[in-house]
Amino acid sequence: ALIYEMTIELSVPYDNGYEPDDYMMQEDEWDRDLLLDPAWEKQQRKTFTAWCNSHLRKAGTQIENIEEDFRNGLKLMLLLEVISGERLPKPDRGKMRFHKIANVNKALDFITSKGVKLVSIGAEEIVDGNVKMTLGMIWTIILRFAIQDISVEETSAKEGLLLWCQRKTAPYRNVNIQNFHVSWKDGLALCALIHRHRPDLIDYAKLNKDDPLGNLNLAFDIAEKHLDIPKMLDAEDILNTPKPDERAIMTYVSCFYHAFAGAEQAETAANRICKVLGVNQENEKLMVDYERLASELLEWIIRTIPWLENRVPEKTMLEMQRKLEDFRDYRRMHKPPKVQEKCQLEISFNTLQTKLRISNRPAFMPSEGKMVSDIASAWQGLEQAEKGYEEWLLTEIRRLERLDHLAEKFRQKATNHETWAAGKEEMLTRKDYESASLMEVRALLRKHEAFESDLSAHQDRVEQIAAIAQELNELDYHDVASVNQRCQSICDLWDQLGTLTQKRREALERTEKLLETVEQLFLEYAKRSAPFNNWMEGAMEDLQDMFIVHTIEEVQTLIAAHEQFKATLPEADAERQAILGIQQEVLKIFQNYGIRGDLTNPYSTITTEEIAIKWDKVKKLVPQRDSLLQEELARQHANERLRRQFAAQAHLIGPWIQARMEEIGRCSMAMGGTLEDQMTQLKQYEHVIVSYKPNIDRLEGDNQLIQESLIFDNKHTNYTMEHIRVGWELLLTTIARTINEIETQILTRDAKGISQEQMNEFRSSFNHFDRKKNGAMDSDDFRACLISMGYDLGEVEFARIMMLVDPNTSGIVSFQSFIDFMTRETADTDTAEQVIASFRILAADKPYILADELRRELPPDQAEYCISRMPPYTGPGALPGALDYTAFSTALYGESDL
Amino acid sequence: MMETVEQLVSFQHVHVQLNGGAPWGFTLKGGLEHGEPLIITKIEEGGKAAQCKKLRVGDELVNINGSALYGSRQEALILIKGSYRVLKIVVRRYADIHIC
Repeated sequence: ALIYEMTIELSVPYDNGYEPDDYMMQEDEWDRDLLLDPAWEKQQRKTFTAWCNSHLRKAGTQIENIEEDFRNGLKLMLLLEVISGERLPKPDRGKMRFHKIANVNKALDFITSKGVKLVSIGAEEIVDGNVKMTLGMIWTIILRFAIQDISVEETSAKEGLLLWCQRKTAPYRNVNIQNFHVSWKDGLALCALIHRHRPDLIDYAKLNKDDPLGNLNLAFDIAEKHLDIPKMLDAEDILNTPKPDERAIMTYVSCFYHAFAGAEQAETAANRICKVLGVNQENEKLMVDYERLASELLEWIIRTIPWLENRVPEKTMLEMQRKLEDFRDYRRMHKPPKVQEKCQLEISFNTLQTKLRISNRPAFMPSEGKMVSDIASAWQGLEQAEKGYEEWLLTEIRRLERLDHLAEKFRQKATNHETWAAGKEEMLTRKDYESASLMEVRALLRKHEAFESDLSAHQDRVEQIAAIAQELNELDYHDVASVNQRCQSICDLWDQLGTLTQKRREALERTEKLLETVEQLFLEYAKRSAPFNNWMEGAMEDLQDMFIVHTIEEVQTLIAAHEQFKATLPEADAERQAILGIQQEVLKIFQNYGIRGDLTNPYSTITTEEIAIKWDKVKKLVPQRDSLLQEELARQHANERLRRQFAAQAHLIGPWIQARMEEIGRCSMAMGGTLEDQMTQLKQYEHVIVSYKPNIDRLEGDNQLIQESLIFDNKHTNYTMEHIRVGWELLLTTIARTINEIETQILTRDAKGISQEQMNEFRSSFNHFDRKKNGAMDSDDFRACLISMGYDLGEVEFARIMMLVDPNTSGIVSFQSFIDFMTRETADTDTAEQVIASFRILAADKPYILADELRRELPPDQAEYCISRMPPYTGPGALPGALDYTAFSTALYGESDL
Repeated sequence: MMETVEQLVSFQHVHVQLNGGAPWGFTLKGGLEHGEPLIITKIEEGGKAAQCKKLRVGDELVNINGSALYGSRQEALILIKGSYRVLKIVVRRYADIHIC
């Protein structure tokens, strides 16, 4: 409160800007006064004169003219004595200038001795009546003696006077004294001053601001009449001057001060006592207040600190935040007033101490524990507790936040994991592999591998969950028990999953191995059963093979083969058992390991039943074949007997026929004897041959038997029935032909007139060139023969001749042909020309012949022959039915002209 | 037993075209009827066959106007006589005779 008041007081402005250094101020004013305004000079003169007179009248004198009457210095010294109450040195009574100067100097010295520095005021100027100097000097005196000693509330001189005026006129709203010039122009200030001290003298309420003249004159009048203050100012001067002279006004107002101040002294004394007592009382109250406030504050601190030192954590963040809120409230609402209180306490203490010091009292000593230092340290403790508390709150909140976050994280991860893990146990304990195929098991293994990697990927997550749980434990989460429980169950299940995974892997791998083994067995089975099956099929086929054998050796070969086959049976049986064994093994595996898969072999369609059936069949067929073969053997032996029989016969007959053939050949080639002789011999031979026929028939019979027995060959003889038959027939034909040849030769001989010698010659030549001696010449023989006869043959010609002698291109030339050729050459042959000439004759020289002519000339059958064979004649001049005998003739002779 | 004589005969075929019509100027002899091959035995001097300078005595007739002959002279005569303006014949000519 003190500070406040003081601050307000200090805000009252002074408007003249003067420094409160009176001494210096005087000189400044002095300098300024060298440029004194005429108006001011007038005012000052009047005011200063009146003032001086107000004092001089106590000495029974007056002045009339301020610059004149002080020239000798006597009235000046008198004035000084009156206003100071002190004796000055005796004035010089002379009238000389130097006497006056001396007196004035005495006055000036006196002034100087009162502490006023008169720098530019000299006695000469005063003695010379310098108005400015004189006024200045008077002002200096007024200042020193009437104003200087004014002290109002420790403000002195001009400021003190101003302050006094302000204080006194404070209650008067329309009065505002800021200076000693314009503030006084409306006269209310003076009236207020008067009214303040002597309300009986003036009815202030009736005064009007707009009547400054009236106000001023009223104040002047009352002051003169009742306050013994002569008029020093002129109301019109004041009004007419924009800025009235400050000094004049100060001078006049100071009189008021001195007038009232005196009356106030008693008041002041009483006030002083009251003040002192009041101060004392005040101080005591302050002390008490201090003590009380201090106690209260300390109590509050003592109450508050434990609250701030409380470190019991809340469970939830919400509660902690509420605590923080409470703390904030404390800081925002509860503490500031306390801060204020403390401050207040300090201030009160300081103020109290100051007041006591100023008023010269002993310092205030608070009771024990309530010293400023105690309070300060208690406060410090509070603040520390606060800081600690805030820190703790924030830490706790952070912790709880983290815990909440972690707890949520834990929940989330745990839930995710539990979701993932759901159903895995069931999946891992499935026995789906027990009835799966190898491919399926392998697929299951692949899936399991995928699951295993999934599992290991989740390992991290489980660890994370455990880590979070751990942290929650470390951070002392409130619901850590349920967290731990959940974490535990997750970990337990995790271990379980790990174990089950391993078990399943093992089971799958085991099953895979078994199925692979089974696979291998199946393959083995397939590999062996197929060839074995083929073998059995082949065997069955072979055993049922229809055989056709023609020799004993063949049968025996078959029998041997069969025996060989039988020898392989034990081996085959072993193989069969081995194959069956494979199947058994598969069965065993299935049974032992509880595999419920498919027993059928995917690689083989051959079942064991099939193998058994076929094997039985094979076994049955073996003895069957045995007996068949034995039968056959018997049969073959029988056949052999037939063969031998045949052979024996053939060996008799064949040579006999051969002999006969040779006989005939020899005969036909014989040189000696006649053809008739030959004929006779041949006829004899014929007879013999014919008689031999029964032998042939018998052989035929044997042959038939052989054929019926389906014997197709006979190694005992090269002779076949065909041979014999052919030989026999050849023999028959040979004999017939030879006979015929002889007959022909006879005919030819007779027809061509060939003699026996010629015939013998022909025969001799023929036999000579018949190199192979088989009754015929081949082309080489014939060629040689012709050459020997002098023929010069070209290839073409020879070919022609061959065509003639061997028209059937049999490659051989018979004796008959030879004779024909030989006789043709030597005989007179009919040529085609000759025949044509003959026909021409018949046709009477026509180039064609008519059917009638032919019939007329030739035997009927020959004529018909000609008619039917002759082509029609197409030449010029032909009659209908003309026949071309030329073409016919050449055609006869094998020639056609084209 | 009987032995056959093997004849290795090399021959060529000659294609001849005669124009102008009958008479063609050659003589045919032989034929299946006679048990002989069908041979050209005569080529008339100045005749169409001689003018073409391709035919020789001894040539065997095997084809007439695109028809292969089976050997009968009658057949050959008919085919030849059937040719009006153009006669195309193929003859077999034996070049060499080897006897094994």
